[in-house]
Amino acid sequence: MHRGDDYFFYGFEAVSMIRTLQGILILLILLCFCTGCTGTAPVSEPLPGTKASNEFSNWNLTVNGSVKTMYSLDQLRSLPATTGNGFAVSTVGIKYGPYICKGVLLTDILNAAGGIAPGNQVWISAPDGYLWVFDYDQVQGWSFITFNESLKEIPSPPLRILLMYEQDGKPLSYDDGGPARIAIISDEKGVVTEGSAWVKWVNKIEIKKK
Amino acid sequence: MSVQGFLRILAPFIIIILFFSTAGCSTAGQPQKTVLKVVPAGSLLQPFDEVETVFEAEHPDIDVQIEGHGSIQAIRQVTDLHRPVDVVAVADASLIPDLMYRTDPSTGTNFTETYTPFARNAMVIAFTNKSRYADEITPQNWYRVISRPDVRIGISNPMLDAAGYRSIMVALLADKYYKNSTMFPVLFGSHFTPPLEIQNERGISTVVLPEVLRPSDEKLVIRDGSIFVLSQLEAGGIDYSFEYRSVAEGHNLRWVSLPPAIDLSSPDFSGDYANVRVVLGFQRFSAIGQNRTGQPIVYAITVPNSAPHPELAREFSTMVISMAQTGGKGWPVHL
Repeated sequence: MHRGDDYFFYGFEAVSMIRTLQGILILLILLCFCTGCTGTAPVSEPLPGTKASNEFSNWNLTVNGSVKTMYSLDQLRSLPATTGNGFAVSTVGIKYGPYICKGVLLTDILNAAGGIAPGNQVWISAPDGYLWVFDYDQVQGWSFITFNESLKEIPSPPLRILLMYEQDGKPLSYDDGGPARIAIISDEKGVVTEGSAWVKWVNKIEIKKK
Repeated sequence: MSVQGFLRILAPFIIIILFFSTAGCSTAGQPQKTVLKVVPAGSLLQPFDEVETVFEAEHPDIDVQIEGHGSIQAIRQVTDLHRPVDVVAVADASLIPDLMYRTDPSTGTNFTETYTPFARNAMVIAFTNKSRYADEITPQNWYRVISRPDVRIGISNPMLDAAGYRSIMVALLADKYYKNSTMFPVLFGSHFTPPLEIQNERGISTVVLPEVLRPSDEKLVIRDGSIFVLSQLEAGGIDYSFEYRSVAEGHNLRWVSLPPAIDLSSPDFSGDYANVRVVLGFQRFSAIGQNRTGQPIVYAITVPNSAPHPELAREFSTMVISMAQTGGKGWPVHL
């Protein structure tokens, strides 16, 4: 039977019903894709500490330089933003990324706190008790070890340290270190850096004079 | 509409649904596998892969997920990051009572009550056929060979990896063991600006590391993790690296064994090992201080009190201990 015959014999209401039925069936098929196919995929329990991105209202960033400054998330987001490619690797070779990272350059944050001079260090910490230290050279983007996507060491292209608040176009989630974490970024894609410096949940930046 | 006509319209959709439910979605409807989260130290990854294979073969409904970290970071997954972890295994048994025998505020109980030491390891000097003087180095002359000016050596970052600060301890112990040896200044101390000095007090040799460990020349290479040091070794970027014996063996490397008084393997030399100390450049984790004192390398395993699947976790741990007894390539030596 041709489609025209349907219309001829059963009229507009019948064809409309068939189309509705088709729509429902297509939805069912889509459901099969979305749920049925995940049947055996291992499912990890959500992290107990998981927070929605809108639950960062109490977050503050303290920056201790020659000037002490404090930022709310909105204030951080209102600063000039930079975007770059970030890709990290853990000490056992687990790769995280690649990401499109958006945030505020560490140098901009430090300049607003009085700036950093050669010989100074920057201590970056988080409420989970993690601390990482950058020296002056690293703050300028120098002296990092870099790898390609196969984790083969490559000469370092120009790098910058970013306080990232957006990852791949979305607010940084708690599980990914949100509301703000350190990222080492490059204009080039596929540049992997050592992940120990990618401090999650950053809430304190200190300039230390040696 | 006739029934036949209706079925004719439905037929293509039914076929599509059947196709996906029997082919692409053949697993739909089956129960989800239970995930058993296991977090070992990086030097246990290779043997734990073996345990995973055997355990999953015996438990087809279990998906063992192994996530390697440095030993302290492995424990922190439970104590600081509050992740649901079933098994933790570390390359330094003392870390478990130090970091986990304390109250978990979320449960009111300790993070764990017990742990099982199950293996020991030794530091060795790993190398390949491409390494300079590979045909010369022996257990008797190793400290002289790797001290030569044209030999490049590698260690993992002591801030991040126990094998890193244990490498420095080996050099300090060697300087005590081989009279008139200058291994620490030649291999490590002189390659930083300013040079790292040994502080000797009451028979204890201490080295204080700077906050940022960046060698000032190419004699010494430091990388975050052992796997990156091994990559350098295999690529010829360095000639020798300080590694755990099990790791060197697991990567099919050649290695030189060191005297037990130096290699951190033997409880008989605990007193000697305790005479060397490394102070890390900063307190990376608030939960643990910066001082690391030499002691025998002992691996231990525990099931945290917050483990989502404690019975399975204990079963997995038992299997680890049992397979460690059997040993094999890449396994540390059982206790």
